[in-house]
Amino acid sequence: MRIAYYPGCVAQESGRELDMATRWVATALGIELVESPRFSCCGSGFVDEANMILNVALNARNLAIAEAQGLDILTVCSTCQGMLGLARHKLNDPAIRARVDPALAQIGVTYKGTVKVRHLLSVLTEEYGLATIAKRVRRPLTGLKVGAFYGCHLLRPQAELGTESAEEPHAFEDLITALGATPVMYRGRVMCCGFPVLFVKEPTANRIAAHQIEDAAAHGADAMATPCPLCHISLDSFQNRAAAEVGRPLHMPVFHLPQLVGLALGASPEQLGLPRHLVSVDSALDKIGPVAVPT
Amino acid sequence: MAAATTISVPFDVYRFDPTKDRAPRYVRYNLDVAPHTPVLTALLRIRAEVDPGLTLRYSCRSAICGSCAMVVNSKSRLACQTQVGPEFERHGRVVVDPMRNMPVLRDLVVEMGSFWGNYRKLEPHLIEDPDRPMPKDTPTVMTPQQVDAFYETPRCIACAACYSACPAVEADPEFPGPMSLAKLYRFVVDPRDGGTKERLLKIQPNGLWLCLRCHLCTEACPKDVRPSERIRDLKEMAIAVQGATEHGSKHAIGFKDNIRAKGLLNEARLIRQTYNPLEAVSLLPQAARMVRKKPEILKAPKAIDGIEEVEKLYQLLDEEKKS
Repeated sequence: MRIAYYPGCVAQESGRELDMATRWVATALGIELVESPRFSCCGSGFVDEANMILNVALNARNLAIAEAQGLDILTVCSTCQGMLGLARHKLNDPAIRARVDPALAQIGVTYKGTVKVRHLLSVLTEEYGLATIAKRVRRPLTGLKVGAFYGCHLLRPQAELGTESAEEPHAFEDLITALGATPVMYRGRVMCCGFPVLFVKEPTANRIAAHQIEDAAAHGADAMATPCPLCHISLDSFQNRAAAEVGRPLHMPVFHLPQLVGLALGASPEQLGLPRHLVSVDSALDKIGPVAVPT
Repeated sequence: MAAATTISVPFDVYRFDPTKDRAPRYVRYNLDVAPHTPVLTALLRIRAEVDPGLTLRYSCRSAICGSCAMVVNSKSRLACQTQVGPEFERHGRVVVDPMRNMPVLRDLVVEMGSFWGNYRKLEPHLIEDPDRPMPKDTPTVMTPQQVDAFYETPRCIACAACYSACPAVEADPEFPGPMSLAKLYRFVVDPRDGGTKERLLKIQPNGLWLCLRCHLCTEACPKDVRPSERIRDLKEMAIAVQGATEHGSKHAIGFKDNIRAKGLLNEARLIRQTYNPLEAVSLLPQAARMVRKKPEILKAPKAIDGIEEVEKLYQLLDEEKKS
């Protein structure tokens, strides 16, 4: 499978471990990531709030880059997925096209609307197939209870994004099961991580993150896993601040989605950038066995 | 016509009387119902046939009055609009809770004072423009196009499902809630309203930027009012009226300007764009902790290929807005 790889800003910067794990998993599964140095930021929802039309135009340019390559886009971030997907939907609106198209014409870009935007989660579960992944598992994550944390923009708004379900998705839990781990069901899995207000009012963001982490823990999760690096910032990088805010200790390892897949396929913690996390994942690694056959 | 096949469904219903009970409990009721039975009808049957003490609010049973909002299998929605069959199929039972984010009066009835208080604070009525007094004896006629600008929000039935579903309301009492803001939007874009600018000036420092754009309100709304989208509109309008005045708007404008430079986000610069130096100092210990593990935070990204195209789009679509 060949697909245009849209890593997004965070995976190229502070969340580089997400990019490392994505590349490792893609190689292991034979997915060819076609890169482009031309992709710009998706706007992360903030540009949309400041200037919606500009945000749609920037993302139309991104979509057109993949169109020119004749490839669909692969995202590894719920927010990139949501922003590119929402732009794709808005570009069906003639009133928006009337404002965006002339600007695109001035930079020599024509948006045709032929490209699909797919998150790694749906590529793995729908395209690649859970059965095929299960066959490649070399270190089943048996005994590890994982709380999936979807990230809002992967799921909502459902009507525009055409997602599996806004409030009762199961693709991530299906993947966790295929890797040998046990999915934990809890209300917080489809809730917000607090990131959008982390730089607006940090204590509020911290309380929201603590709430979801404690919800996962109360339902027995040894670890959480997220398909969104912004959720990872809230849940992992700011977990100490979340604990301080609610006045209770928290210890919850948080994996990026491809890190969890990589572990099951036999990658080492270093290959997946796990030492880069702010919260140690050792307690989760202790629960799973060694690789059956050394890499 | 043959009678519909019935299914045996366990209902776990939240029961709590704060004046008597030490803690809430769930009571299991088993009911044989047709799959298309609304949850509200099932609850009324429980009350009529099994437990007359069960307390709930309802009226029209037709998704018009907005009285029977509650939490069914962890989703905030109208009980009259939710069928038992699909819930039973997905969850094997039907768990019924009172709405969240409001204190329980008894069983499924909550005290909605904060919901209405937030609504009242936003002055949900037309404010007359002294320069354009409204005619006293004749109606003010609007064009269909003018009505189209806010046709979604008058559909709101104030059921509070959005308020119950909202994680910002849950975490921060300063957030006025999705309905209040959607209704505010309705008056801001109403051509008869004389208070547009004042409304926008007032809302920016009063919770507007606490919206998480998680869209849970839009999914919960039984009338497809789409509050999260109207809140986005309000943010862009508030910036247009007064620029960036606080962290939320500074962050949004800062982000927009940030990626203009290289096409990708410069993380360290964004902090400086959102916070003043004094505030940034308070973040230093956390930043130092992160930089130890993730030194890339301090590095500016390399400009993307075609950054001049990005710049051109800004000139065409952003500068235009400023003028």
